[in-house]
Amino acid sequence: MVNEEYRGTQQWSRDKQAVFAVVWISFLTAAMGTMVFFALFDPVDLSGIFDEDLEIGRDAGYAAGFFFFWFLCALCSGVTAFLVRTAPKRNAKKRQR
Amino acid sequence: MNKPQGASMYASADKIYPREIGGRFDKLSRLATIVLLGLFYTIPWLNWDERQAVLFDLPARKFHLLGLTLWPQDFPYLAMLLMIAAFALFFFTALAGRLFCGFACPQTVWTEVFIWMEQWTEGKRAQRIKLDKAPWSWNKLRRKGSKQILWITFSMWTGFTFVGYFTPIRELGADFMALNVGGWTLFWGIFYGFATYGNAGYMREQVCKYMCPYARFQSAMFDKDTLIISYDEERGEPRGGRKRSVDPREAGLGDCIDCQLCVQVCPTGIDIREGLQYECIACAACIDACDSIMDKMDYPRGLVRYTTENALHHKKTHVLRPRMLVYATLLLILITGLMTSIAMRTPVILDVIRDRNTLYRELPDSMVENIYTLKIINQDERPRSFSLSVEGIDGITLDGVDDVINVDGGGVLSLPVRVRAHQDDAYGIMTIHFSVTAVDDEGVSVIEDSRFLGPTP
Repeated sequence: MVNEEYRGTQQWSRDKQAVFAVVWISFLTAAMGTMVFFALFDPVDLSGIFDEDLEIGRDAGYAAGFFFFWFLCALCSGVTAFLVRTAPKRNAKKRQR
Repeated sequence: MNKPQGASMYASADKIYPREIGGRFDKLSRLATIVLLGLFYTIPWLNWDERQAVLFDLPARKFHLLGLTLWPQDFPYLAMLLMIAAFALFFFTALAGRLFCGFACPQTVWTEVFIWMEQWTEGKRAQRIKLDKAPWSWNKLRRKGSKQILWITFSMWTGFTFVGYFTPIRELGADFMALNVGGWTLFWGIFYGFATYGNAGYMREQVCKYMCPYARFQSAMFDKDTLIISYDEERGEPRGGRKRSVDPREAGLGDCIDCQLCVQVCPTGIDIREGLQYECIACAACIDACDSIMDKMDYPRGLVRYTTENALHHKKTHVLRPRMLVYATLLLILITGLMTSIAMRTPVILDVIRDRNTLYRELPDSMVENIYTLKIINQDERPRSFSLSVEGIDGITLDGVDDVINVDGGGVLSLPVRVRAHQDDAYGIMTIHFSVTAVDDEGVSVIEDSRFLGPTP
């Protein structure tokens, strides 16, 4: 009886699973990428390369770098998840029978 | 997500109301929570030589770890540390299953604290279910409101502490009290606080089920000798209700009385009796639950217990097995490597770059000159004076260099130098050795090799 209340009811929908998996995995990957990137490059050194008048502090540089990586990773895994999930099913007809 | 009923195979995410259970493993997990979070919240407040003992000072690009100061060029240490962490996880997973998940993962640990706060304000499981079903009333508002206040305050404190690892926390605390925190500090504090609030307050074990990569990978590290939480099917089946006075053997029953308590306490909502499932985070709540029933029934404990697949099948469990030895050896090598390299670390680095434009220059008096750019990196926090020397060829001399070279704390000095030697001694390609030594401490010294080119005789 208690079982009913418990089992099978706590599952996230497929969409929600995909969205949160993408957000979380890209977050972790971006964190790693940011760490490696900024260990090698100082945001202050980089701030002048696009526009000489542009001066970004380190704090802002780190944040911008992190969100850029996060966006990039989310784009990558998001599109991958989308393609995998919307791909035509193999032997779809066979399975229905 | 507005989907017509039946469009998805899955029902929408209903709330899980894990039932609280006392017991050995509950005590252990409370202890782990208090110790781990205690460390997290106190470490930034500890001082070492009048500065914060652990401070990842990103704005200044240096990390303080107790007495050690690390600069960006010490990145290999960080990489090694990450590798050690990965191998430690493999090692412990192969040995003891998902011990990390159940007792040490930040997700588990913070969720535990958020559930405590939920219990203080909303009561036990049955009360919480009732409260959620009840219409809004003063009582409901009061209970839900105080839960939110606790959760939000705790999240804010967590965000504040997190930022305190990157910004001196005592100054941050003073600024916070004066409501003078702004910019990126405020942003990251709120960001981390909000992530804690969402992950530990609402998503909880759904993170483990749907978002955690480790939860899916770990089966690759499992074998038949890995410690897992398992139901003893042989002993438990056939399950079924019975009176306490009934001898199960006479009634043809196993030891499982099918009370469902193990299912009710499970934070991921699985039934451990169906076997090992990837959703299981090894929190051992079901062991506590089952043991309490076994005690009541006067049956021996351990119908659900920590065991291995081999043990369940009456085979011998091997702790020492090739996989463990490989992981342990790699771990040992990495840890020893890291320790030695940190112990042997000299707080000065020398890079020698030979001038690529000219091979060599012939000077009057049959002297040959080569040009180099030296980079001296002072890894100490205070400014230091160094002396520079070169050897490897008889009568080799340095030109254009002061006797004492001053480098700022954590600074990098680029120094063009001319090196001269007599033609009779320097011909073809020769190896020379530059050395930099701190004036105040001869132990702080590095030697770096380079090539010296001269005319072919």
